[in-house]
This record gives sequence, C-alpha cells and structure tokens, in this order.
Amino acid sequence: MTTVLSEIKQNGPDQWYPVPPGSYDEMLNGDGQIRPHWEYAIRALRTLGMPELERRGAEAAKLLRENGVTYNVYGDPAGQSRPWQLDPVPLLVSSEEWGGIESGLQERAELLNLILADIYGPRELVRKGLLPLELLYNHGGFLRACDQIALSGKHQLVVYAADLARGPDERMWVLSDRTQAPSGAGYALENRVAMTRVLPSLFRDSHVHRLALFFQSLRSGLNAIAPATVENPRVVVLTPGPLNETFFEHAYLASYLGYPLVQGDDLTVRDGYLWLKSLNGLERVDVILRRVDDDFCDPLELREDSRLGVPGLVEVARRGNVAIANPLGSSVLENPGLLAFLPGIAEHFLGRPLRLPTAATWWCGQPKELDYVLANLDKLVIKPTDRGPGLSPVFGHLLSRQELADWRDRIRLRPAFYVGQEQEGFSTVPSLVPGGLEPRHAVLRSFLVARADGYVVMPGGLTRSAPHKDEMLVSNQAGSISKDTWVLASEPEKPIELVTRPTPEQVAASLSGALPSRAADNLFWVGRYAERAESTIRLLRSAIKKLYGDPDHSANEYTESLHCLLRAVTQLTGTLPGFLAEDAQALLREPEAELLSVALDETRIGSLANTLRCLVQTGYAVRDLWSSDTWRVMEELEEHLLGTKRYVQPNLWQVQDLMDQLITSLAAFSGMAMENMTRGNGWLFLDIGRRLERGTSLLSLLRTTLPQQRTEAVETLLIEALLDTSDNLICYRQHYRNNMELSAFLELLLLDENNPRSLAYQTARLQEHVSKLPRDKTIGRLSLEQRLALEASSALRLAGMEELTAVAESGTRQNLDQLLARLNYLLVALSNAVTAAYFRHESAPQPLAPLRTT
Amino acid sequence: MHYRVIHKTEYDYSESVGLSYNEARLLPRFTANQFCHATGLVIEPLPADYREHEDFFGNRVAYFSLREPHQRFVVTSTSEVQVVSQAGQLNLSQGTDWESVRLLLRQQRDPLTLEALQYALDSPFVSANAELAAYAQLSFPPGRPLLEAVHNLMERIHTDFTYDPNFTTLATPLSTVLAHRRGVCQDFAHLAIGCLRSQGLAARYVSGYIETLPPPGKEKLVGSDASHAWFSVYVPELGWMDFDPTNNQIPVDQHIIVGWGRDYGDVNPLKGVIFGGGEHELNVSVDVRNLGS
Repeated sequence: MTTVLSEIKQNGPDQWYPVPPGSYDEMLNGDGQIRPHWEYAIRALRTLGMPELERRGAEAAKLLRENGVTYNVYGDPAGQSRPWQLDPVPLLVSSEEWGGIESGLQERAELLNLILADIYGPRELVRKGLLPLELLYNHGGFLRACDQIALSGKHQLVVYAADLARGPDERMWVLSDRTQAPSGAGYALENRVAMTRVLPSLFRDSHVHRLALFFQSLRSGLNAIAPATVENPRVVVLTPGPLNETFFEHAYLASYLGYPLVQGDDLTVRDGYLWLKSLNGLERVDVILRRVDDDFCDPLELREDSRLGVPGLVEVARRGNVAIANPLGSSVLENPGLLAFLPGIAEHFLGRPLRLPTAATWWCGQPKELDYVLANLDKLVIKPTDRGPGLSPVFGHLLSRQELADWRDRIRLRPAFYVGQEQEGFSTVPSLVPGGLEPRHAVLRSFLVARADGYVVMPGGLTRSAPHKDEMLVSNQAGSISKDTWVLASEPEKPIELVTRPTPEQVAASLSGALPSRAADNLFWVGRYAERAESTIRLLRSAIKKLYGDPDHSANEYTESLHCLLRAVTQLTGTLPGFLAEDAQALLREPEAELLSVALDETRIGSLANTLRCLVQTGYAVRDLWSSDTWRVMEELEEHLLGTKRYVQPNLWQVQDLMDQLITSLAAFSGMAMENMTRGNGWLFLDIGRRLERGTSLLSLLRTTLPQQRTEAVETLLIEALLDTSDNLICYRQHYRNNMELSAFLELLLLDENNPRSLAYQTARLQEHVSKLPRDKTIGRLSLEQRLALEASSALRLAGMEELTAVAESGTRQNLDQLLARLNYLLVALSNAVTAAYFRHESAPQPLAPLRTT
Repeated sequence: MHYRVIHKTEYDYSESVGLSYNEARLLPRFTANQFCHATGLVIEPLPADYREHEDFFGNRVAYFSLREPHQRFVVTSTSEVQVVSQAGQLNLSQGTDWESVRLLLRQQRDPLTLEALQYALDSPFVSANAELAAYAQLSFPPGRPLLEAVHNLMERIHTDFTYDPNFTTLATPLSTVLAHRRGVCQDFAHLAIGCLRSQGLAARYVSGYIETLPPPGKEKLVGSDASHAWFSVYVPELGWMDFDPTNNQIPVDQHIIVGWGRDYGDVNPLKGVIFGGGEHELNVSVDVRNLGS
C-alpha cells in the first residue's frame, strides 16, 4: 500500500481508488481521470507518500485532541465527550464552481429570511395558499408567543447553515437547512487550524480561501442587529452548558469572538432589559448569539420546565431591548415539509426558481401527495416534520415488507406530520482509511451570516464523510469523520491573518468587568480541586512510601507513624470512615485496598480520581477562559484518569507511577496559571481557591499529627514524612540538617512567610487577594473577607514558638491545637464569605402553581 | 347585561419570594357581544415592571415582574363589562350539516375560515384520537346539522359526566376524564373540543366567568366561584357559537368572556416563574355582580 500513490500514473487510479461505477466522485471523473482542480493536491500528497500522510493525519488528530476539540454524544457510556475526528485529505472545490454555490446559498438565505419574517409577521404566505396552515401551525418550532416580534434590520435570519451534497446530475443539492442555532463553524475553524499545521506547504501553495473574514462578518452582523440606541453592544454566547453535544464549539466561538460564554441563569431580566450577572453587578446585554433551542429559552412564555432559559426573555425581545440570533422561533424553518412549497414561495418572492435544487419532497398533509408517498414508500426517505427524540429519517428501501406496512399505517394516522423525500445518490470524496484512500459519501455544511448589505458565505465549511463505505447517513451523533473544505482561489489570496483572535488571556482581561459570576465560581473551584488533587497525591505518596519503606527504627514507632499518616489520609480526603473508623485496626494492618480505593475509586467522593474528575469538569465549564496550552494540560489529566480504567488488577506501584505523572501535569497547570494568566478577577478567584485549599489541607495534616505529643522517635518519623508530603524535606535539610525538631518544623511550615508551602504564606496571599476583589468602595471599613484574612494572617505573625511547642499536663500541645483550630475556622469562614459575596446562590426558579377553572 | 367582576388570586408562601415573572390573562377582551368599560389589575406587592400586550389569539396579556421580597402575592382584577344578549333563539335543526362544514374548513381560504382552521388542529392539551371520535360519533350521524350535533354532544357530556371538583387536576389527561366520566368545567370543555376535532371540526376553548348570584327564580350556575370555561365551535356564516357543557346551555348573557385559545394552556389566567417561595397556599375568589341591564 505504501506505493499506492506512486502507482497513479502507471496503473490508473481505479487500482488504488475504486470508485463504484455510475456514481459521481469528487476527485475522479467518469473516465477515471483526476479532475483538474485536484491534480496539484494529489500530486503533492503522492510526493508525501502514504505513510507520511497517515502520520500527518495522526498529528492532526493529536492537535485536535490536545486542543480539546470534542463532540459530546448523548447516551455514550464511554464518557461524555469524544475526540473530534479529522481526515487530512480535504474536500476541494474549484473557484468557478464555488461562485455558483455561493450565490445559490445567498439566494436561498434571502428567501428563508423572507419566509421567517412573514411567518412571524403578516403570514401572507398562508393567506395566499402558498404555505398550508396545518404545516406551519402543527410544527413545534412555530412559537405563538413570538408572533410579531422582529429584529429591527431587514434580516430576521441572522446565521444560517445548509447541508449540501452533489447529486447524480452533478449539481450541488441542498439536503437540509439549519436555521435555529447552526453548529459547526467553530469545528470548521479548528479543522483549518490543524490542517495548516500539518500540511503547511500544500495549504500555502493550493491558494485556499481563508476563513477569517467570515468571522469578522459574524461579528459585524451581530453588532448590526443590536437595539438601535446602543453604541457598543454587549454580545454574549448563550449555551445550554457543558453537557451539550457541541459545548466545545460554544466555548471556542465565545473565546475566538471575544464574547462572554453564559448559561441561562447567568442572565436576568430587569425593567424590560436583559442583564449579565457579573462580578461587578449587573451589566446590560444587547445581543445573544443563541445556542439554546428556542423553546427552552424562557420558562415563562415557552417551555415552563426548561432550566436553560431566562424568565422574561421573550418580553425583552418583544420590547426590542435585546436582539437574539437567531430569533426565537426560527427553528420553524427546519420543517422538511417546507421544502415541498419552496418552489412556489420562491416564485412568489423572487419571481424565479431557486438556483440550488432540493430533493423532491411530498408533504403527506395533502391527499394526492399522501397517495404518492404511500405508493412509493420503498423508494423514499420518510421524514417527520418535527425534530425531536426518536424522530429521525427512515430510508424506505431498508425497510422490510412488514415495516413498510407499519409505516404506512403510522403515516395514514397523522399524515400532516410526515413527508416523503426522494432519495438521491450523492457523490463520494476520497477519504483516508487505514492503508489507502477510499470513496465515501460526504455532506458539506456551509455557513452564512447576514450583514446589512446581504449574506456572507464562509468560503469553505465543514465536510463530514460517512463512517463506513456505502453508508449514506452522515451525522455527528452516528460518528462521521470531518474534513476541511478548501475553496481554491484562482490566484493567491492576500493572506489575512487567521488568528486575529485575541488570546484567551486578553479576552479574560477585557472581560474582567464582565466575568460572569458563575465563571468566577468555577475558577475558584478549579483552584481548589487542583490543589486538593496535589495534596492528596503528596500525602498518598508519603503513606505508600512509608508502607513499603524499610523500617530502620523499632517496629512500634514505625507502625505508629504509619498509622498516623494513614489516618491523615482519611482526614485530608474526607473519605470517612476509612482509617478513622473505630474498628479500623484490620484496615490499618492491611491498608492496600483502602489506599487503592482512595486513589482510584471515582465514585467515592474525596478520592483522588473523584477530585480529578471534578477538576476536569469544572475546568471544562469555563473552557473559554483557558489558553490552548493550559487546556492541553487539562487534557493530559483526563487521559491519565482514563488510563486508570485500563488497570486490570490495580496495585499501589501502578498508583505511584500514575501519581508521579499526575503531579507533573498538575504542576504544569499551576505554572500556566501563574505565568500565563492576566491578574484579573478570574485569576484572583483561581488563586484564592488554591490558597484556601492549600491552607486547609495543611491544617488538616498538622491537626491530625502534631497536637498529641508522642515519643521523640515517632515524632521524628512523622515530621520527616510531613516534610516530604509538603515538598519541604530538601529545604528543611538545607536549613536544619537532619535534626527533625518540632520548632524548626513549625517555623518552616507554619510561620515562614517566604515559604510558598507554609500556612503563613497562604494567609498573606489571601489577605492581598481579598483586598483586590471588586467591592463597593464607598464603604469605609474592611469587608468580612478582609477581616477574616487579616485575623488569620495576624494570628500567625503573633504566634510565639515557645507557647506553640509547650505541652500541657494532659500530654497535648494545647496552644498549638487552639491556634490550628482557630485558623481552620477562619479559612472555612473566608471560603463561605467569598462564596456568599461573589457567587450566585439563589434557589432555582419554579413555576407558579397553576390556577384551575371550575 | 352589565356586570362587575372581581377576581382575586392570592398566594401565601412559606418562604420569601425574592423575584417573580408573571403573565396574567385576566383582562376581558372586547368581542362583538361584549364591551369592557373599565378593567384593571391591582398587584401586591407593587410590580417593578408592568406592560400589556395582545397575544397570538388576540387576548389581553399583562406581563409583570415583582422584585420586592414577599410572602404574599395578590392579583385582583376588576372589570365592568357589558354583555349584549345574543339575539333570539337559534334554530338548531337548520344550517349546514357537519360533514359539509368539515369540508368547507379545508377548502375555503377566506380569512375567517383560515383563522378557524387552526382550532381544528391538535393542541398541547387536546389531541383528537380514536377514543374521542368513538364517544363523539353518536352525536354525529351523517347529514346532521352541525349545531344540532354539537348541542347533542353538549347534552350528552352534561348527562354522562359527573361534576367533581376533587377528581381531576390540571395534569389529568383527557383519556382519564373520558374513562371515569368525571371532572370540572375545564375537563368538559377540553373533552368537547377533542370530540369536535376528532370529527374534523374547529373548536376553541373559552375562559371567563358566569354570574355568581342568579336572577330571582333562576338556579345558581355551577362554576361561579372561580374562573369558568366552556367551548366554542366554528359555524360558517354564523361564526363562533358558544356552548357550556358544565351547565348544559348555550350562553346568552350570563357568560363573560376573558379570552380564548386552543385549550387551557393558551388562556392560563395567571402564569409565573418564581425564585424562592417554598410551600404555598392558594386562594381564589370570583365575584360577578349583575349591575342591571
């Protein structure tokens, strides 16, 4: 197979690229000759050779994975998201052909825009009989609450996407329209970025149209729909949240375009306007780029069971105080029944047929059409007019006799809810499969955005090819493979910088005023979880080391210090009862199983695996705020976590290996946060979380080990272990050699403000940080957070070593115990105070109990 | 007839509500037979935002939002309404037969018929089905004049079904009402609408009030203590004709219309989304005074 590409000329392509007879292939013409606009690229790929191409493909996959490009698949037991797949062989479209496609798409978008404006306006199409009332009114996307609500400009359909495929007549056909919240533009962009990295010279020399301009148009298109009175509109991207299938893209676009990524409850309606709940209070929102389905957007006027929307949003839109792209109710255009009436409507509005054809469609709500569909069911695709769970297209030719009969009954029962559509055979594109190229059916999604002067088409798009040979159905949920789409310019295009994209750090900085309170909350917890994972690992490592270590002291002392550490593991991770159980003697004697569980059992709250899972999930929820380098580290953590699932019979040695890798990744993550993040509000919350967690972890360790006086030998062992746990052993030895002395230890770990692992260091940082948090400056006294941090920090500064190490008659170090308890109380109170002051903590809304008529 | 309607809705919450968004359909609409002199809502606590608009069905909607923390929420709607008696007695046995009406609905494209056609379609609370069609069938023999058939259907519902305020809730499906033969005015209205839709006819849900104290010598009507509901059927040439299956009568001048829609969901008197509140207690009172002719 390695010579396959070099055999093109000698053997003719049919040897290496078997195109089924009678079907149209994008690369080869009917005579098996390479089409002119493919020649250059194929020659270049040939020079590269198949193994190298495969290597580049793997490289692209790695890039995408590291950038966290994912697609969430509903009901996928293997995990919530799966990596995005990219085939390095692009789909090529010649510049002449693209011109036709482009104007055809613009024309179609203009038509759909007119239809949308009519449906929520005069409904002339219904009155004139061009659009059956039943077809429109039965559709779930027809939102009566949104009647007569319109954007101010001439465009109602702001963003639009169409799925295209080449039909047997060699023309490009429109398969379906995406008019609600089309996804894919962000994936197209990520594909492009990856392709320019792995095939840079081929890309450069192929004169490919750039994508950046499209995103500039998107920005200006969104600005243009803002309410007229607003000069610098604030735009937000509204997402259903991290569980949504295309959440990656929401975060990516938000970050690329520089808009805050928000969920429904980040927004609130006041006085007829829409506001973002940010750290600085409420900030007006003028434009929403919507990725939430329209009927979920307002529990007051639309679906009352929705948790994803903003109560009162429809009213704000009604008053013209917010512009939503696309407007609520625009999914009404995704009704496949509409396709049956497009020719008539095009004639009415444009006075001519549409340039891009659509598959012939029969709406069963009419008697003649119903008869036709029933009679030809085995040759047609059956599509429900509504979208929803369980409503996917059915291919008549795949149905058995019995299934066909069942479908006929189903259609006869509710004919107005079905269409029959002609099934077209579509063209194939060369796709990279193990060992060579194979023709696969493919669909191209193109993207348009309305600007004041008309629709702008992305020169390119997202091509998806079928997961199997001869498979016709192409969908992300079913596992398709994506391709970049290259529209070839006739001459080199002036390179416009693709990455006019502000870095996430710049975005975070420019948004510091508008950091959604939820994002701050998540960053705070990212800080806490990252630190919690780290301290859990350090303590587990010490415990395991001690467990397998060579006891050069007497067995009793050794055992006592080991048990003490094991109890600290339970205490620190909160995995009670664990080693703290009253009858833990057996467990303490054979701690392996419990330690394994504390490390690897993801379902156990407080375990290392659980903490890491929380870290990755919380981090993912603010995906838009991380730089790609930082995100790569998160991906690494996720990989390590997945790796643990492959352990057949896990043992502590494996766990130790794992933890060594994890600690490096975690260190990389905190380094990134330290060195790459602008010191805005976001960073403050991240670091407050980290400092609080490090402080409370340390306190937990010290409180379980130190206040109770033990024999000198045990204490020496413990101090050594604690120094090791806190990564301070080397430092200690430099200062104090091998004399394990409590006072020296406390000096270093408790009181030394220059030691980044000491408690005093944490409280000093906390004191600085909380003074920088946004607050009402008119109040002339310290905030609660400031008072708590000040007290903690002062308590450490004023502590005297003699008092701390003094042992009372009861055998405990009472003063030390009291100080540690007080400090712990202060840090917990500080965490609560920050949460109360800055994070949203209101109850979820509920519907008002309904009235009944009697 | 001239009425004053006072409709008071009161929520008492166990915990404070800090924020609420509401939509009230409590202001009676104008119709050919109904003139509203004065209407108004009094809302406690005072709303931070209030605006009225007309909805898709032409009903009057008040949108408002409360921002003052409260444990008691009261909406009082007061309306003075003139109801013009619908002229004369209808001759039910005349007029177009129901099958022709069904056909007309689908063939004529004039604005009135088109407007009516939407009420022949399924709606969230009322979908036509075989059970409903089977129940309706007895009233719809071939060739029967539409009005006579609908009147018969109303009578049958009144006779076959028991008025029982404790049997159903808003969530009770029509099939349960049909199977157990009990419910309240809302269920009977939905049932009749479902029967009519299952025959291919257009029927809509009407929400409103009926006179509380009957004129001397007349019986007190059922459903006068709260909002009432009945249905209306589209009759070409005559327009929309109302029927009250709960009281087995064709409204003349004792029914005051607030609004109409495909079913209850379109004319919900008071909707809302609240933050907080905990448990609640709900009290509704309706007083409809006859102020004379």
